Amino acid sequence: MAREDDILKDRDGFDTTEEIPMGKFAALMPVSQRAYLEITGSKEKDGIFELGETEVVLGRSTECDIQLGVQNVSRKHARVVFQNEEYLIEDLGSTNGVFVNGIKVAKCVLRGNDQIEIGGVKLVFNEEKSVHKK
Amino acid sequence: MADKMLVTFWGTRGSISTPGRTTEKYGGNTPCVTIENQATKIVLDAGTGIRNLGIELVREAETRKQPLGIHLFLSHTHWDHIQGLPFFQPAYLKDTRVTIYGSPKKEQFLASVLKRQMDYEYFPVSMSALTADIRIQEMSKENLRLGPITIDWEEQVFHPGGSVRYRFSAYGKKIVYATDVELDLFLRKQGRSEKEEVSAEEYMRFVADADLLIADGMYSEEEYPARIGWGHGSIPTVIEAAAKANVKQLALFHHDPQHSDKVLDELWVKYRTRYLARSRKMDLFWAREGLTVAV
Repeated sequence: MAREDDILKDRDGFDTTEEIPMGKFAALMPVSQRAYLEITGSKEKDGIFELGETEVVLGRSTECDIQLGVQNVSRKHARVVFQNEEYLIEDLGSTNGVFVNGIKVAKCVLRGNDQIEIGGVKLVFNEEKSVHKK
Repeated sequence: MADKMLVTFWGTRGSISTPGRTTEKYGGNTPCVTIENQATKIVLDAGTGIRNLGIELVREAETRKQPLGIHLFLSHTHWDHIQGLPFFQPAYLKDTRVTIYGSPKKEQFLASVLKRQMDYEYFPVSMSALTADIRIQEMSKENLRLGPITIDWEEQVFHPGGSVRYRFSAYGKKIVYATDVELDLFLRKQGRSEKEEVSAEEYMRFVADADLLIADGMYSEEEYPARIGWGHGSIPTVIEAAAKANVKQLALFHHDPQHSDKVLDELWVKYRTRYLARSRKMDLFWAREGLTVAV
């Protein structure tokens, strides 16, 4: 009776010890995810803010990562976190709420072109995946 | 948030899961929703969305070093509402207790259906291998109370095999979960029979004044005529019924597998604009995976 490894050897050109050139494939795989918040209506902070993997707090307080000097924005209004390879926005108990595409949310995983509104400040979320070129 | 019920959508798709680039916004997982208030964890349906919920709950249990107590309410046992259960990680944890609630008409049937889904012909792990303390409990006429949340329910007959709608009340707020029901058959019909009349009255009474109604909104008015009798209703019918019943917020749910993100966005714009042009008393949105609203 043939042993299992003998059977495997009989297969045409199949050798489990052969090194697979992963480098070739890895070069074509997406390696990073970049995400942005485009801010309008905040006066001095309008512009594009790139998100990383660390938490970003938005609010009126000077302690916030994105300080929004607008009266209807709470001191610590919301945060954006990177979790399970996705970005999500969470209301930190603000007075005027967090809206995503017009819906008041406690939390929401963000998708491309989501329109966010906090205390009158408008933010658009967008992301892109970058790919290594050969 | 201590006096709020947090409602999270883990799966919003009807009939069959639809993974892929064209459904990543609203999600491709079949029905699963949670209602949480402090330590009380309620799960509505065990579609494929329950897999991600399970991963999250296990992570939470490990962090808090506390056993999980989960209450799972099934609307019915069609595949899309139970097929995630064998992949629900907490069901494999010895210290977890999972209580599964369903229609009293089907108590034996419910246990047997869930068991048969994990028959060796269909799945490599049998239900007896689930090490959690799993209990199946039929709903009774008396209201159920879990923490601060009171639960009552009604049978829905206008779906093949029937389904159950649930109402969750706490802190003066009400959430109604009423999916898989063809409202058009008894709310729109001219010359209703006595049974249809009773069904219409019961439905309107049950959803009345809900702060959030999660409702079956599978078809547009153009699609529905070709799908009469399939057990799902049209979007304008549920919007009109909810508005008439003084619902505060309506979540359209159980999205048709044929509806891509683009189609759902178009439906949202079409119907939301049409409704808001007439009234601004009710808010409506298309449920999407990863969304949490506070009620």
